[in-house]
Amino acid sequence: MTHCLIEVRDLEVRFPIKIGGLFRSQTLELRAVDKVSFDINRGETVGLVGESGSGKTTVGRAILRAIDPTAGKVLYHGPPPGTQDTNSGALGEARRKADKIFESGPVELSALSGEALRRFRPRMSLVFQDPYSSLNPRMTVRDIIAEPLVAGGLLTDRQAIDERVREIAARCKLNLEHLRRFPHAFSGGQRQRICIARALVSRPDFVVCDESVSALDVSIQAEIVNLLKDLQEEMGVAFLFIAHDLSVVAQISHRVAVLYVGSFVEYAPTRALFFQPRHPYTHALLSAIPQTDPDSDFQPIRLQGEIPNPLAAPEGCRFHTRCPYAKPRCSEVVPEWREIAPDHYVACHYTEDFDFARGS
Amino acid sequence: MADTILTVEGLSVSFRTDEGLITPVQGVNFQVARGRTLGLVGESGSGKSVSTKAIMRLLPGSSSLSPETRMTYRAKSGQEVKIDSLVQRSKALRQLRGGEIGMIFQEPMASFSPVYTIGNQMMESIHLHRGLKRKEARALAVEMLAKVGMSRPEARVDQYAHELSGGMRQRAMIALALSAGPALLIADEPTTALDVTIQAQVLELMDGLQRDLGMAMIFITHDLGVIAQIADEVAVMYLGSIVERGPAKQVIKAPKHPYTQGLLEAIPSLDRLDARLRPVPGDIPSPTERPSGCAFHTRCAKAIAGLCSGEAPPEQQVGPDHAVRCWLYDARGAAAA
Repeated sequence: MTHCLIEVRDLEVRFPIKIGGLFRSQTLELRAVDKVSFDINRGETVGLVGESGSGKTTVGRAILRAIDPTAGKVLYHGPPPGTQDTNSGALGEARRKADKIFESGPVELSALSGEALRRFRPRMSLVFQDPYSSLNPRMTVRDIIAEPLVAGGLLTDRQAIDERVREIAARCKLNLEHLRRFPHAFSGGQRQRICIARALVSRPDFVVCDESVSALDVSIQAEIVNLLKDLQEEMGVAFLFIAHDLSVVAQISHRVAVLYVGSFVEYAPTRALFFQPRHPYTHALLSAIPQTDPDSDFQPIRLQGEIPNPLAAPEGCRFHTRCPYAKPRCSEVVPEWREIAPDHYVACHYTEDFDFARGS
Repeated sequence: MADTILTVEGLSVSFRTDEGLITPVQGVNFQVARGRTLGLVGESGSGKSVSTKAIMRLLPGSSSLSPETRMTYRAKSGQEVKIDSLVQRSKALRQLRGGEIGMIFQEPMASFSPVYTIGNQMMESIHLHRGLKRKEARALAVEMLAKVGMSRPEARVDQYAHELSGGMRQRAMIALALSAGPALLIADEPTTALDVTIQAQVLELMDGLQRDLGMAMIFITHDLGVIAQIADEVAVMYLGSIVERGPAKQVIKAPKHPYTQGLLEAIPSLDRLDARLRPVPGDIPSPTERPSGCAFHTRCAKAIAGLCSGEAPPEQQVGPDHAVRCWLYDARGAAAA
């Protein structure tokens, strides 16, 4: 039984951009994210892929309210009946108390502010790309991992905090004797495990992993991917997994969304997206993954030109300037976001005309 | 190899650090043939970049080459250059850098000067290495920019690095390296920071340019998928040594060294979506605590007790041009197992 955790509806993020000099300055509007809608279920991993500048990070941060969305709604569902946090101990108690916020139905995250938002934050978390710059060099590993509990006001008792930190550190396969050390003593893979422990210490339902394995070597990357999968199974946490490496995304995600210049072009279960893509952009993106098999017929589809400047995003379908199948209608009408097969969403006028499927 | 442009033998590099002398590169041998691409693969800290910087003699003052190091380069004039004995700041070394051996780096933004235009920097290189006058140099710069697939090269030549997108900047970097007309190009993770679509474009471009110009290339990457597409030969590095080298296709299809096998299995693949990833067990040891014997024995599932931890394995031929450093392929190893 799947339970919806987060509903994103028509999410929009616009940034004002000042150009020009002192006297002739002009404010343009950059639409970083344009009318994005999707759901994330409890305990599910949703992959988010797209080229740099497509708005992947902005989508993640807007859901977390690290950036305020300009328009649209983010609905956060409470635990379904009968599945409340049953953990004993101070953290379980604190969580049950905090869950009272869901008594009147799902919370509109985009409308929270001030103290209510701060109280809500421990439910969500973030793991960054660079494990070197995301750990404070002057804090011990124990204090780094404990920070979300302290900042979110979940636990105040020192002993309870210590207990929880040790528990999550052990789960993230950190050596408990290292908790008193400072981050500089650790390798990249170990640092990323510290970041993951910090993200999960408050027992969140939702974690955004923003390129969390991109800076790691393949072997360590494999280790971290396995760890994230194990932790998800144990704790039922949902991940929004942002990455530009498509094979890693395929490995970890249940569903994958493809972004192009701020809007979704396709959202589907992983297998469907990778083996039966329905949007020309997804198809081109997949064809560009280098294959390890030296005999594979590596023929990336050459997209014309560059990814458009989001300040001057094309009219109609944003991909029409580079799409090999573009027709006149594509430059005039914005394609509708529609479900063309169960759970398979595409924004393309002519998707029915394409067959990009390949043998699995 | 018939037409070898660069031969590296017994390359060892040491650094003086606070924790004592460390040797991130130990006894590395390889050759690069004219017009061919050598792929250098390995995890961070395996000594890929240090090895190639040693070829350019770009290592800092705290480093030293071992006396056994021999690096021989065959210049465009046919003359042999002993790179290891060149003196820093000498004219011969300046000619070698850029003019004979070009280099491109992972982060193009950090490699361009932010205060000069792209064209200005290219013209400087053309002037120094080809001795062309201003006007001719500019024309050649525009030509090179066009060659790497930049639109409107006449306008781009007057732009600054920050005005270009990531993919365009990497193209400009390639154009800059090629404008001096090198016979060997060292590319240090040139596509790692790029999106897959741009990466595919840059790889295709480099492949085409290499064929047109007959240039040799050393391509450093940690992505075995990229190696499979672009390299003719591949050398796999672990903790400063080459553990396996051979024709790229053969090494990737039938890897012999347990480390190469482990690396290939750790890569996520669309063909094995439901299987768990299999990382190489353990962490890469720090260069100050290099294991004795075969450096990989601490992480190797096939390590032979008593042998691998005691003595470093010699290089064994396991096929035409395919060599591996592993006791499993040695008579003594077979006897001990």
